[in-house]
Amino acid sequence: MKLKPGLPPARNLIIAVPWFWLALFFLLPFLFVLKISLSEPTLAQPPYMDLIREIEDGFVTLVINFSNYQLLLEDSLYLSALWGSLKVAGISTLFCLLIGYPMAYAIARSPVHWRLPLLMLIILPFWTSFLIRIYAWIGILKTNGLLNNLLMGMGLIDSPLEIMHTPIAVYIGVVYNYLPFVVLPLYATLIRLDLTLLEAAADLGCRPWKQFLLITLPLSMPGVLAGSMLVFIPVMGEFVIPDLLGGPNTLMLGKLMWTEFFSNKDWPLASSLAALLLVALILPFVLLRHFERRAEEAST
Amino acid sequence: MNRVRQFKPEEPWQAPEEEPIVRIENVTKRFGAFYAVDDISLHIHQGEFFSLLGSSGCGKTTLLRMLAGFETPTSGQIFIDGQDVTNIPPYERPVNMMFQSYALFPHMNVADNIAFGLKQEGMAKSERQDRVAELLSLVQIEQLAKRKPHQLSGGQRQRVALARSLAKHPKILLLDEPLGALDKKLREQTQFELVNIQERLGITFVVVTHDQEEAMTMSSRIALMHEGRIEQVDPPRRLYEFPSTRYAASFIGSVNLFDGYVVQQDDDQVLVQCDEADSLLQVRHSQPLVPGMAVTLALRPEKVRVLKDFDEEAPNQLRGQIKEIAYLGDVSIYHVQLPGGKWVQFTQPNVQALAEQPLTWDEEVTLGWSANSCGVLTE
Amino acid sequence: MKKVSSGFKYLFPSLLLTTATLSNAEELHVYNWSDYIAEDTVAQFEQETGIKVIYDVYDSNEVLEAKLLAGRSGYDLAFPTARPFADRHITAGLYQPLNKDKLSNLDNIDPVILQSLADIDAGNQHLVPYMWGTTGIGYNVKKVREILGDEMPLDTWRLVFDPKIVAKLEGCGVSLMDDATEVFIAASAYRGQDTADFSKAAIEAAANTVQAVRPYIRYFHSSQYINDLANGDLCVAHGYSGDVLQARDRASEAGNGVEVAYAVPSEGAVVWTDVMVIPKDAPNPDAAHRFINYLMQPEVIAPITNYVAYANANAAATDLVDEEIRMDPGIYPPAQTREKLIVIKTPAERQLRDMNRSWTRVKTGQ
Repeated sequence: MKLKPGLPPARNLIIAVPWFWLALFFLLPFLFVLKISLSEPTLAQPPYMDLIREIEDGFVTLVINFSNYQLLLEDSLYLSALWGSLKVAGISTLFCLLIGYPMAYAIARSPVHWRLPLLMLIILPFWTSFLIRIYAWIGILKTNGLLNNLLMGMGLIDSPLEIMHTPIAVYIGVVYNYLPFVVLPLYATLIRLDLTLLEAAADLGCRPWKQFLLITLPLSMPGVLAGSMLVFIPVMGEFVIPDLLGGPNTLMLGKLMWTEFFSNKDWPLASSLAALLLVALILPFVLLRHFERRAEEAST
Repeated sequence: MNRVRQFKPEEPWQAPEEEPIVRIENVTKRFGAFYAVDDISLHIHQGEFFSLLGSSGCGKTTLLRMLAGFETPTSGQIFIDGQDVTNIPPYERPVNMMFQSYALFPHMNVADNIAFGLKQEGMAKSERQDRVAELLSLVQIEQLAKRKPHQLSGGQRQRVALARSLAKHPKILLLDEPLGALDKKLREQTQFELVNIQERLGITFVVVTHDQEEAMTMSSRIALMHEGRIEQVDPPRRLYEFPSTRYAASFIGSVNLFDGYVVQQDDDQVLVQCDEADSLLQVRHSQPLVPGMAVTLALRPEKVRVLKDFDEEAPNQLRGQIKEIAYLGDVSIYHVQLPGGKWVQFTQPNVQALAEQPLTWDEEVTLGWSANSCGVLTE
Repeated sequence: MKKVSSGFKYLFPSLLLTTATLSNAEELHVYNWSDYIAEDTVAQFEQETGIKVIYDVYDSNEVLEAKLLAGRSGYDLAFPTARPFADRHITAGLYQPLNKDKLSNLDNIDPVILQSLADIDAGNQHLVPYMWGTTGIGYNVKKVREILGDEMPLDTWRLVFDPKIVAKLEGCGVSLMDDATEVFIAASAYRGQDTADFSKAAIEAAANTVQAVRPYIRYFHSSQYINDLANGDLCVAHGYSGDVLQARDRASEAGNGVEVAYAVPSEGAVVWTDVMVIPKDAPNPDAAHRFINYLMQPEVIAPITNYVAYANANAAATDLVDEEIRMDPGIYPPAQTREKLIVIKTPAERQLRDMNRSWTRVKTGQ
């Protein structure tokens, strides 16, 4: 907690509130997870050993066990799962952007009285429970589901498409579910974009598609970045969508954590997976911020 | 209005055989039922510093945007350098625009902003760099080339915007309220720089402004616009001294208006009976007028003098009582009420500091002016 | 051991959190498998005793286990599968011993089944058996006969583990359960190996058996096959007896011409027993005892079997069960079938982890 000493106490207090919130609901639980990740599993309640153990009367010893992390790094299964999660998160984010950008752009450029209804159309499905929406996709994608019946009824395919329980179903579910998280921040940046900049570009000889490439796209990068993070980060740890729509051969960290926690009762290993996932997610952003700052310093 | 610019070259608008660089023919722009621009025809000539002047909503910006290509006329045609550009998109027009907000690209530094248009036309890199350096020195911001727009002051941004719009050697430079965002002191200084650059480059400038002083100072000619139409197109001095409509007379500076009818005309001397002033007024006017015709005379307050004696027989003499005095520093404005109730205002320079005011409240004064000082408005 | 079709597990909010105490009436918190009780069982108990039952459901042993291991689950009564779950829970000390003075109906329980639990629960101190069943093979009779001919016996693990046969059935659809213990034990039985051997070598051998047929397996799932068997979308499924019989009934109800049958493979199949237990930290063990005793009444448990189509462990109730169910060899297997059943030996913790990790590798093709 870094409070600036010169500030009036009221302002210190205001800054302290989010810090306190983060510490209480993020840092503290994470420390618990970290603690469990350094212990050993045991058949007891709870199913892990305490770090501090009494060996004799009055003598205590601290036992820290790094073997969970060692296993994660040595066993290719976990790195493969990391790669699987990265792949699903990366491809889903890309598709969310490819679909979400034109949507956000169209809404931001539509007449004022159309914008709110269009945004509502994006948000409204999300007033339904997340699970109901995923189950709806099962109904659409399954072998004798809506999509297959429709395509076969139209004579476009002879035998049903195997989509359910494949990676494609996972991508469909993830992209559908996370699309608003891309559309909304993109809309917010695009609506703030000064349209006279496009006129200025046109005035200087720039054709419409180049105006988009040279002006709109670079200036909407904050929205692209925010949207990507809002999709990429949760999808990295996503469990329910791959579990319901994906096949058993979908190897992702979320499912692996489930197996370690529930099937193996190996809470320490599940915790070290969670800790490792967090580091894997935070590290790129810390590095990005670091390079941004250096680039900024270099330019001034 | 003491800094009206002297336009050096021969007045090109007096040479009808020369093709104007901008020819606007019966252009109308309608937004729904609203006529933003209503049947305007206008010629602008090579090398002019042409101002579109008017209050907000008069259509001046819409007209400028039609020149740039951001709006398409509902009807009518626009020619630039003899070419019909009415339906040509902005990125293919030989004009450039300096935006009121400057519209600098926030993600590019100053040099890249200026080079943007050059890059679009595919100019080689080394040539581009030379051109950018040239422009940076033209607007005197060589040291700012690597800065981003958000690191610049308002005045610096204005210079970048100007340099960027000049980069492609446009045939016409359109400027939308070019000084509007600057504070008063910087504005006055920048006015002259803008004029100097325009004269040096010989590019035709078309400026939109709502500031009459700015228009008067810089322009070769001013088109005064009102409700989508042009009230009057004239050089600043003519616009001020001989406004042709009531609106033109009252928009620029202050004016006393006398409604009356023509009594008689001898050569260029016209006698007008003005009932509201209960007086006979004489004015010089070369156009023939029919006796009995209703006219309005426009008299600038600074043309009025205080006379010692009142000669009831002489024209252009009024008596009244000073009711209000406004001290403005260089001059004072006096509001005089005539016996019939009509108000007339006149100004007097404050020649001596702290001197006893020669005129004071409730004083009876005689006002007079020469026949040359008055303008005749027929509309 | 039973599972509900698809994953409705996410839809059930914990009733415990939302149920406010409306009166001072005694409360009993029951945590059971979904669809594992008759419709009026709870209401009748409430009427008889005045105890308010808060009934919550789960659909996997793992979820129940995680709650019990975390502690303070708030439940008074749960229904884990005896092996390997209840076995290791006893080791971990998660249950309290039963007070047999309060279980007057204990004599109704089949002594053979009670005896079969004695090795994991000495003196039957913690567990009372509830229902039991087997894990075998469900198949589409007509289609499988069409492909394999009339000569081929179908009560064999070769249907899901012999690469030559599974390759023939591939187009028609073969599924395995997504459960390491079940699949590996079945694979060991198929190869005639010791099904109680969980050494690294045995796990690797079982994994290789699965690996050999993996290209022809349509999916690994522990409940999806119910629908697909019933619709005729799948020909052979490794699954729980009750679930396959459910598919059979659905198909005959739909009248779609699909005939589903259940077979206990001759190489041996897993028999499982779900048991009633009282967690160590149960808030109201007294009411839990009363509920267990209530469920041990033949006239209470028989309608449950009629409703859920699983055999109960209550010897006194067998005559009260509908004849159709009592005579169904899939539900109450005949003696010679019973001899072939495999009782799961609980693997050591390390072995369990090796097995699950190996399983993840096999099914994801790593």
